[in-house]
Amino acid sequence: MIPFASLAAVVAAAAAPLQLETRILAERPGAAGTAPVLAPARRMLPGDPLVVELAYRNTGAAAITGLVLANPIPQGLAYRGGQPDMPVPDLSVDGSRFGPLAVLTVALPGGGTRPATAADVTHVRWRLPAALAAGGSGRLAFRAVVR
Amino acid sequence: MSAPALRCLLSGGTALAALATATPAFAQAATPATPAGTVVSNTAQASYTVNGNAQTTASNTATFVVDRKVNLAAVAVQSATTSVDFGQTGVVTTFRVTNNTNATQDFLLTVAQLLPVGLLTGADNFDLDNVRIVVDADGDGIYNPAVDTAGFIDELEADKTRAVFVIGDIPSSNPAATGAQIGLQAIAAVGGATGTQGAPLIPTPLNTVNQDAEIDVVFADNDNDGLLGFDAARNGRAWAYASFAVTTTNVSLSVTKSASVLSDGVSIANPKALPGAVVQYCLTVQNATPSTAAANVSLTDIVPAHTTYVPGSLSVGGIGANGVCLLNGVSIADNGSGTGAYRGSYDAGTRTVTATIASVPGGTSIAASFRVTID
Repeated sequence: MIPFASLAAVVAAAAAPLQLETRILAERPGAAGTAPVLAPARRMLPGDPLVVELAYRNTGAAAITGLVLANPIPQGLAYRGGQPDMPVPDLSVDGSRFGPLAVLTVALPGGGTRPATAADVTHVRWRLPAALAAGGSGRLAFRAVVR
Repeated sequence: MSAPALRCLLSGGTALAALATATPAFAQAATPATPAGTVVSNTAQASYTVNGNAQTTASNTATFVVDRKVNLAAVAVQSATTSVDFGQTGVVTTFRVTNNTNATQDFLLTVAQLLPVGLLTGADNFDLDNVRIVVDADGDGIYNPAVDTAGFIDELEADKTRAVFVIGDIPSSNPAATGAQIGLQAIAAVGGATGTQGAPLIPTPLNTVNQDAEIDVVFADNDNDGLLGFDAARNGRAWAYASFAVTTTNVSLSVTKSASVLSDGVSIANPKALPGAVVQYCLTVQNATPSTAAANVSLTDIVPAHTTYVPGSLSVGGIGANGVCLLNGVSIADNGSGTGAYRGSYDAGTRTVTATIASVPGGTSIAASFRVTID
């Protein structure tokens, strides 16, 4: 489990046992042959890749079940894919129907549909299959690009 | 948002139902680059169950500001060399400057007449005089002196293109002047104030601590003219080039006409201009401009009164000097049916002799002759 020491403390209201923190990180090219480096998103230009990260933690005393984390794609960003070594989210182009990109379609103005592309994605969602024990935490992320 | 407010909003349902209407981001698919200054903010929602009670939690909001990605392009509209004449004034060359920045910018314009050797083909051995730069105000791409007067591009929106005219005069005759080259530079400048010329943009230094709420200036333009050209990558500038060639030189062309009596039917030597005498008229056209040929030189002459044209006597392409034909050229049919470098005809109705010479090389003269009999 990943500690939260590096994250700014934004504590959810005491009544909610789940603490949820999001960060936007710029994806800068690493040295040759190495993975990209993530840095705070400060100098961001159209076309720049970035990673939107969600970190969650059960601060309550009881286990959390049926955890669903949902993230609308912010205006100005386009979805690009999941982050390596992390679960790939379900996607949606309308906020109601979720699934992998391959099954999603976009209605055309003149009628009919076309296959959805990554740029059409408006929402991502993860469903956690297992219960989150008290004190348990985790991290999820997806990659995006500045439109 | 406080937790009680959230619970009020989302109580009893899943967060997703609310999210579906919360973010109408679908219309984004084909939009251009996000404008500089746009605040991108992300908020996630969690819904879950604790001991059978459904709950929701909203995350914090992470934000950043989209910075200014300065990019521009300049191209010359005419790809070929512009043909000009000596002394021609108001020669217009058209360029197009495109703002590929994710913001509205001004663009400053300068002209250079001394270009790196080898950048363009052709000679660069004279400069245009009285060079002005004006911007196409009405957007029609055609220079209109009454309207197009601005010297810089004001408030060009993202992804928009504006025509720029470079206007100059060609110097008067100069045998050494055969070609000229110019370059137009567009410099991205601060926009935002209509009618005000902004200062050139300065990129935010890479080691400047970025205030997240501040719009950094980042140059992202290419080197659009290769190693030889003036432009460099990431300099917030673009260059385009055009060339001029003096193609229709105002050569010094002169025609001399002489007449000589060939025979008078009486005299054995020194024939006189008696009735019935045959007279040869000789026209020599001299091109006094060295090294520049005169093309399609046409000579016309009306057969004098009291004389009669001798059919079939027209000869073009002969050798002559100072108005005297030394050697006849190609015999030309009177009906104008001839082909080749030398042509001609005789029109009996107008009594006009026409001779056409495809080319009079620089510094040479070519003769045409015809004969008449004195009535």
